[in-house]
Amino acid sequence: MVSTGRLGRAAAICGAILATLVFLFPVIYMVGISFKVPRDIFTVPPRWFSELTFDNYTSYFNQARILPRMLNTVIVAGGAAIISMVAGSMAGYALSRMRMRGAGVVAGLILASRAVPPIALVVPMFLVARRLGLTDQYITVILAYVTFLVPYVVWLMRAFFRSLPPELEEAAMIDGCNRFGAFFRIIVPCSLPGLVSTLIYCIILAWEELLFALILTNDKAVTIPVAIAGIAADTEHGGLWGPLSAVGVLTVLPVVVFALAVQKYLVKGLADGATKG
Amino acid sequence: MAPALVLLAGMLLYPIIYTVWVSLSDFDLSTFQPSGWVGWKNYEAVLADPGFLQSLKVTGVYLVVALPLQMVLGFGLAFLLNVEWRGRGLLRALFLIPMVVAPVVAGGVWRMLLDPLWGVVNYALGLVGVGPVEWIGDPTLAMVSLILIDTWRWTPFVVLIASAGIMALPSDVYEAARSDGANRWQTLRHVTVPLLVPVVAAAFVVRWLGAVKMFDIALAATKGGPGQATDVVNLYIYEKGFRGLEFGSASSMATVVLLITMIITYFLFRISRRLENRW
Repeated sequence: MVSTGRLGRAAAICGAILATLVFLFPVIYMVGISFKVPRDIFTVPPRWFSELTFDNYTSYFNQARILPRMLNTVIVAGGAAIISMVAGSMAGYALSRMRMRGAGVVAGLILASRAVPPIALVVPMFLVARRLGLTDQYITVILAYVTFLVPYVVWLMRAFFRSLPPELEEAAMIDGCNRFGAFFRIIVPCSLPGLVSTLIYCIILAWEELLFALILTNDKAVTIPVAIAGIAADTEHGGLWGPLSAVGVLTVLPVVVFALAVQKYLVKGLADGATKG
Repeated sequence: MAPALVLLAGMLLYPIIYTVWVSLSDFDLSTFQPSGWVGWKNYEAVLADPGFLQSLKVTGVYLVVALPLQMVLGFGLAFLLNVEWRGRGLLRALFLIPMVVAPVVAGGVWRMLLDPLWGVVNYALGLVGVGPVEWIGDPTLAMVSLILIDTWRWTPFVVLIASAGIMALPSDVYEAARSDGANRWQTLRHVTVPLLVPVVAAAFVVRWLGAVKMFDIALAATKGGPGQATDVVNLYIYEKGFRGLEFGSASSMATVVLLITMIITYFLFRISRRLENRW
């Protein structure tokens, strides 16, 4: 790699630490605010150490039904991620292996669909869901999320399957497996790291999604980002910083823990998702 | 193959066709369905709508400033974070955190940080004699804030891709460059940069795909304001369609945005492919 002098190295390390602290500060600040009472939040100069309260996590949570909404988000994100993984990885496999006519066109179209802005889909989704009486239902949100997850999965898994030698499933098929058997028994186990990293990223994307959820839900199926947008919209009156931070912490915490636990896979998935294709 | 195609046809192709259909017809709010065919009328109206054109401009400004900024910052930080020492792994892990903060949370938290009265940023600036700064209240600064928040949220993503690219740089090329007597600047100019160009291009394309969908940070942090200063196109269409119930014009605008996005994405893909092949 680029060789640097001793001094340059020390400066780079300091720079790296400083940059990390700057980037982490908003998160630390949010955690801090979430444990403060209002009179310690709205002060100048800011109080770093103050009376500790769990009020933001308790009283507000029942009132805004945060926990059911958390559950909704888990259901929707999990459902969408699993459906997208099954459909997307099968399509990715087909595109990586089969030499059929039009495969290139199909691949191109699926990739192009990554560029479709959600706003171009959401009007008809809303109208159709409304006509079918499916607004505010998990299945509607899940299917909406599939639109942006499937292309991502296809893109990523196609690149991943390509890196596996075709002899793998050829051997299995000689031993009497059909294409499907070879896929599920040989390819899937061999691709576990790729599948896991893709699944994680899908869950995170769905967990954070706002636009579709905002439009397709209004009460029963409301997800956490929608609830947060509602609380954030209230900050004009000055009062809700504590609850906003508390909900923010609870939204971010599982993803951070998850992301750090599977860091290796996540980094690989993200980096490959960007550069392979 | 088939399940993905069915899902995408049903949930992607059909909605797009439906959008185009609604955009070409008169929307009947009593039945909540498109009724009469009106041809290009909706398009003529939205293309003459100063609000829509303004939102396109706002989106353009955001993209043109934010994306290059994030690329430069991301690759610069990746080099810093790549220096080998004991804490490298920890810093890298911590750097992942902003990236998994939901955009709507990021918008909300930064709104607090940038609050003119109680915000920490203005307090810190006050200590060095600057301010108070109306971050969200002033049109230009609101755009600066939006880009700042977006850059905070997304630079770690660029750092991650850049790190992967930097780590994949082949060390033998560097040894060859050194034995040929190349100095550090020459090595950077003639070895590192050319080798990283495809990675930069790929990172840019992925960031582009995410950035054109900009919605949640703007909604949570500025709500498009003040006035229309940060009213990105997705937010504008959302307001028109779902607050104003103007589904016809919302669909026309969405179709216009879809077309513009597809065309630019096509060219970005082409350029990125070419850069990958050239080096």
